[in-house]
Amino acid sequence: MAHLIFEHVSIRYPIYNARAQSLRHQFMRIATGGKIAAEAGQTVAVTALDDVSFELKSGDSIGLIGHNGAGKSTLLRTMAGIYTPDSGRVIREGRTATVLEIGSGMDPELSGYENILRMGMLMGIPLKEMRTKIPDIEEFTELGDFLSLPVRTYSSGMTMRLMFAVATSGQPEILLVDEMFGTGDAGFQERAKARMRDLIAKAEIFVFASHDHKLLGELCDRVFELSHGKMALASGFNENRESI
Amino acid sequence: MNTRSGDTRSDIVRALANMPAALFLSWSDTKARYKRSMLGPFWLTLGTAIGVGGLGFVWSTLFKMDKAQFIPLLTVGLILWGFIAGIVTESSQVFIQNAQLIRNVQLPMFFHPLKLILRHLINLAHNAVVIVIVFLIYPPEWHWSAWLALPAFLLTVLNLSWMSLFIGMFAARYRDTETAIANFMPLLFFMSPVLFKAEQLGVGSWVIWVNPFSYFITAVRDPLLGHPSPWFVWPVLLGMTVIGWLVTLWLFHTRRTRIPYWI
Repeated sequence: MAHLIFEHVSIRYPIYNARAQSLRHQFMRIATGGKIAAEAGQTVAVTALDDVSFELKSGDSIGLIGHNGAGKSTLLRTMAGIYTPDSGRVIREGRTATVLEIGSGMDPELSGYENILRMGMLMGIPLKEMRTKIPDIEEFTELGDFLSLPVRTYSSGMTMRLMFAVATSGQPEILLVDEMFGTGDAGFQERAKARMRDLIAKAEIFVFASHDHKLLGELCDRVFELSHGKMALASGFNENRESI
Repeated sequence: MNTRSGDTRSDIVRALANMPAALFLSWSDTKARYKRSMLGPFWLTLGTAIGVGGLGFVWSTLFKMDKAQFIPLLTVGLILWGFIAGIVTESSQVFIQNAQLIRNVQLPMFFHPLKLILRHLINLAHNAVVIVIVFLIYPPEWHWSAWLALPAFLLTVLNLSWMSLFIGMFAARYRDTETAIANFMPLLFFMSPVLFKAEQLGVGSWVIWVNPFSYFITAVRDPLLGHPSPWFVWPVLLGMTVIGWLVTLWLFHTRRTRIPYWI
């Protein structure tokens, strides 16, 4: 059983400016006993998540909304274990796959096929197992001969298809998807939705950040709104939606 | 599973467990770099052969040195230097360059330095072909102690591992590091016994021994060429491994979770 529990999680995000990343300014700060520390040492800290608690179990599909910079991506990255909370606790059990930033983990010089293996390895899937998944990925992405071409020749929609296909091919127990998922065309979105319904039906955890309220309404049981690092249940979503 | 403390060990253990993935990726990186070339990664071998051949003949003629002595010395020295300098220089980018990967895929942090070192080991394996050829042309006087090159090389890699992790973290936080290292490496090249043996400097040889990389080159090269190394090379090498790893592990333990924010 996969689960994902946040207990009073807070994340403060240091933003380093050029001065704070300069070694000379750090030396100056020490040498002058911190008198000109004002600019050199101080980094602006943004509170990206503020005392967030929730509990997700297998079968949950969650939507995240919030304006730009509300902390959606930070929350997804904390869920994935990339960011470590400053306070609070994250308990995550289950194989996790992420589709967060377009093209991450890919080498644009290598072909689609080589990148499939590459991304699989990064997700911790052995080479042999990953090779058996290729036919399924070929079918799902419908990229055909493009898979033999370098990924740099792909459009963003095509890259997206490949990333999504690879991320879901490992049968993740926890799937975290960020908003750029919208770049696929209508046909791909239909297939992606079908695949996510499958995943959700197999009792996995699905978290999806998006600005597309319609899509969120279709895919997610509950939708949370993030604002200023706080999370609250958003209203107006699942009223007229049959359960999966 | 994801608490702050106690994860340092699991980070390194998981990175080592991911060794096949790191090896696969570094090999695919090597291939990607030479993707549209005919010789592929063997450009590395050819490039080294040209460099060693050219420098060897010019310098041995210029300084009137015995080619059979000088060329093997230079070949092993230059190739080892390329390996060391490559790792040290690129380490300053090891986290910064993988920023996108680090921010999107949950991987152990030590995975990135590990991948860098494996990639340079692959390069070294290509370059080693040149060493074999040179040894065939100018066979050194083999001695049982030639085997000492193996543990010496192992210690060198262990040292370069902590250096890579340390430099990677430091450079991610303080961006001057990269330029500083790039500027100091040529100086360290002249302070290392690549073009000569430390003994040839006489009293001035202390200049060589303040450079940590000299110990790596000496310890690996001397057994291969059948020379005895100065007595202090091995203790210093061992001490550097232990102290370097202790300091780096402490830094890694306290700062590891900050890396995603620095890059």
